[in-house]
Amino acid sequence: MNLSIPVIVMAAVIGLVGIGFYCLLVTRNMIRVVVALQIIVKGAMLALLLAGRMRGQLALGQSMALTVIVADTIVAVLGLALAVQVKRRLGSLDLNDLSSLKR
Amino acid sequence: MEAASALLWLLAFPFIAAPVVYIGGRLVVRESEKSEKPLLNPAGWLALLALLGAGAFLYIIGKDIFSVGQIIFATVGNIRLRFDGISLLMSILVLALGILVTIYSFAYMKGEEHEEKFYALLVLMIGSIIGLSCAIDLFNLWVWFEAMAITTILLVAFYRNQPGSLEAGVKYLVQSAAGSVLVVLGIVLVFFQTGSLDLESIRMAVTQPSLLLVIAGGLMVIGFGVKIALVPMHTWLPDAHSQAPSGISAMLSGVVIEAGLIALLRAFGALAVGSDRWGYILIGFAVLNMVVGNLMALRQREVKRMLAFSSLSHVGYMLLGFGVMIAFYNPYAGMGGFYHLITHGLMKGLAFLAAGALLYVLHVGKGDHHPLTVDDLNGASRKYPLTAFTLSVALLALGGLPPLAGFMSKWQIFASSVMTQNGWVIALVIFAALNSVLSLGYYAPLVNRLYRRETSPIVETGKPVSIWMSIPMVVLTLLIVVLGVAPNLIYWLTGPSAISIFMFFGN
Repeated sequence: MNLSIPVIVMAAVIGLVGIGFYCLLVTRNMIRVVVALQIIVKGAMLALLLAGRMRGQLALGQSMALTVIVADTIVAVLGLALAVQVKRRLGSLDLNDLSSLKR
Repeated sequence: MEAASALLWLLAFPFIAAPVVYIGGRLVVRESEKSEKPLLNPAGWLALLALLGAGAFLYIIGKDIFSVGQIIFATVGNIRLRFDGISLLMSILVLALGILVTIYSFAYMKGEEHEEKFYALLVLMIGSIIGLSCAIDLFNLWVWFEAMAITTILLVAFYRNQPGSLEAGVKYLVQSAAGSVLVVLGIVLVFFQTGSLDLESIRMAVTQPSLLLVIAGGLMVIGFGVKIALVPMHTWLPDAHSQAPSGISAMLSGVVIEAGLIALLRAFGALAVGSDRWGYILIGFAVLNMVVGNLMALRQREVKRMLAFSSLSHVGYMLLGFGVMIAFYNPYAGMGGFYHLITHGLMKGLAFLAAGALLYVLHVGKGDHHPLTVDDLNGASRKYPLTAFTLSVALLALGGLPPLAGFMSKWQIFASSVMTQNGWVIALVIFAALNSVLSLGYYAPLVNRLYRRETSPIVETGKPVSIWMSIPMVVLTLLIVVLGVAPNLIYWLTGPSAISIFMFFGN
């Protein structure tokens, strides 16, 4: 198969999303969970750019990717802020320790 | 004022007002730290003013919708916004419930640390839900959806010193972030296939079902499904609803999950080729939601957790209505779905507010954050007759007892589903009706406890219920009774909503 730029980017998208979801499933550390979410979002952003390029509307794809960056940064900040509070209250970042409500 | 500019003001006003609410509250807090006597925190009143202001803009739009035509368009830059039946329904519901919750929180959040943050976020959340209901561009829909998610995460984790509330916040954040990425991936696939994001032009561009669009629809079901709490994706809901401040629980259950449902229906409308299959998917989730919601609610000992699980089953009834509308091209089932959306907002809102009032006077107001268990309700009607009465009305309406609103909306869904004359759907309706009877198995014992048990010691030592909490509860009780006795009063709202979804489906 001819390795053109779209194919490479598509492989990167699939790779990033796959790695991100795998991390989300196996990790129990809150900081790593936030990092995993970031990896998935980076994959989605790349996909937006690729779709924009392929449809000849790169500007639209770029503006959407910028919006995703903003929204996603807010979510990351919130996640880390919650992690700080969890560490303060429970003394641990392990999600398994956060299970007082489960029954 | 013209309706189009009123629409822009309606959307912009909450976002302008929220910083004012926060800064106003903050300044007064700082002043009262300096001075001897504590000053009244004005954030709540400012938030109430902001919501009433938004209500005034909504009135201007609503007047035009009925005098001129059904739909109002507005443009900002490249973004088109459309105010149709669904937007009207969601805006009225969210503003009405929001105003009542704000009044309720005057007492509930009084003296709470960072009270002004609470009101500012509440106004922002209401603004983003109104925006979500007006978006007709797939990406714009996602942006409003994400704004709603961010504000609700902050509100769920509002008691940041409580481990339970932190846990609920973390679960909600991780699940809703993962869901919203899936929605973005779905949007990418639609964009890649059609080269457009506007829902109507996507509908035009798609002429036959394609694998990419089916995958995109599936991603959106999962992504939006996290917020709607479709059953395998529901695990955040009982934690978030039970740990949030009670006013926010009412908003979450009454409008936020429904806003997710509206977003999903809008997106389905664009991918509507081969649309009856999407209807069957919704019906499948309806069955799962009813069964799991009711069975899990039966074994709960905490009142707010039980109400949260019963939200799952009520989403199931709505999904049944919308699913039948899409699968069998039956707009009446959609009307029933929207009717149940409104009544569920009112009933579940009232149930959470009344349970929250008891939680406040028995636990939170005394500074302990224990949950309200069913045993705490024993004999509460003697000390809190009004609160116990409103809670009973809400519970019986949720269970679907005839003169109340919950019966009428379920009846409309069931009756219009039977009209399809399909054997499987009729079996489903019987199944849903049995589920509704089953749900009385956890609602009725609560009423029994309120009225017939000996008063428990914790109720004896409870504080009085504030007038600010009683007013919203009485208003909601009246609305539930009126909508149950006179269902025609709401057809002007449900009819146009069903049409504005329905016109996307069919061939």
